[in-house]
Amino acid sequence: MSASGSREQAARNRQQKLEAVQASQRQRRRLVVAGGAVAGVAVLIAIVIGVGLATGGTHRKQAAAPPSGAATAALAQLAGMPAATLVAIGVGDVENPVVLADQPALTEAGKPLAVYIGAEYCPFCAAQRWPVVQALSRFGTWSNLAATTSAADDSFPNTPTFSFHGATYTSDYLAFQGVETETNKRGAKGYQPLDAVTDAQAKLLETYNAPPYVPKESAGTIPFLDFGNRFAVSGSSFSPQLLQGKTMQQITAALADPKSPIARGIGGASNMLTAAICEMTNGKPVNVCDAADISAIRGHLRDK
Amino acid sequence: MSSVGASPRWLWPACVVPTVAGFAISGYLTWAHFREGAVLACPETGVINCQKVTSSPQSYLFGVPVAVLGLLFFAAMLVLTFPPAWRSPNPLVHRARLLTVSAGVLFVIYLVYAEVFVLDAICLWCTAVHALTVVLFAVISVGTAVLPDQG
Repeated sequence: MSASGSREQAARNRQQKLEAVQASQRQRRRLVVAGGAVAGVAVLIAIVIGVGLATGGTHRKQAAAPPSGAATAALAQLAGMPAATLVAIGVGDVENPVVLADQPALTEAGKPLAVYIGAEYCPFCAAQRWPVVQALSRFGTWSNLAATTSAADDSFPNTPTFSFHGATYTSDYLAFQGVETETNKRGAKGYQPLDAVTDAQAKLLETYNAPPYVPKESAGTIPFLDFGNRFAVSGSSFSPQLLQGKTMQQITAALADPKSPIARGIGGASNMLTAAICEMTNGKPVNVCDAADISAIRGHLRDK
Repeated sequence: MSSVGASPRWLWPACVVPTVAGFAISGYLTWAHFREGAVLACPETGVINCQKVTSSPQSYLFGVPVAVLGLLFFAAMLVLTFPPAWRSPNPLVHRARLLTVSAGVLFVIYLVYAEVFVLDAICLWCTAVHALTVVLFAVISVGTAVLPDQG
């Protein structure tokens, strides 16, 4: 090989080495960028989840927050409604619950079980929750009851009410399951799903929210209430029309007058449900179930 | 410079596993979306609520169900991560792969945000798809970085 040929070969080798070093450096830079991007994505997702967990998420924060002032005040008014007012109301203008004769007892953890199945969007559920909350408050304690309204785009829009979603009820005498199957906000497929109905609850709906217990045309309607498989209520006990355009404060204020349509609706249904619950709890507690007005309604229910 | 035949051996298996799994889960979510009355096999324990997530307004993007977008995404990734695509001398193929998976992972961040902050519900199947997308993003990012120089 000539001297000039050797120099060219050496130059080519140097060039190749240089290119290899440069390629290696470029690859290292790309790896650093790729690693940074992956780490960045991981950190971003961790931040979103971490902040969500720490704050409970914007939406959850609202739902899980302690009951609003309106809900707390309304609950206090309902629970503290004078006995004399309730006695004066009697059963008001409400319909009787359906008697479920000779059915297996519905219980949970040894206590008779009351089940409510409804939805937040439903105006009839909105109306019915008022007497349910009041009747049950005579037997136990509510916590985390939140204020809400029925859907803005359904009949009787924005009916003020409570939601059983996230609420808890404790009682020495009975257990309660409140299911709100959908929210009051529309999603892609109708109202957004909320609480799932268990198989056992679905069976109750299937069995007792259908003929012969309810007319064929109203089978499956909500709200549905089952009191220990002794009594059932399908639909609301009074019309949501009574609550139209009212705030929670206006509704609770109207309860003071036993002649007001709102008091006759809510208080009357509450008395009726209280009597049904008393039948379920075998008359416990006596201070509630042996009260003259409730005893009278219980007698009326037994005669049915 | 050509990269023909130069992609690492681990690259395709590392891509195909999350891609096929993501395609299968997206297919299941798409089936459930269009099948009337179909209910996802998913526990509903309050925060875990697949139905709430998959029927929410956030389950659509410009009128297209997100499940369908996921299916199309993984179908595209299946093609773009096939060995001949990794060996392609055309740099556009490699850029398209990186851009597609980057768009996918950005969309995942949005969907996680929507689940946590808007819907207050987590869909386990969707979470699996999100995790697979992030894994795919990591593999493709590193895989693209270790490829020989593109032209």
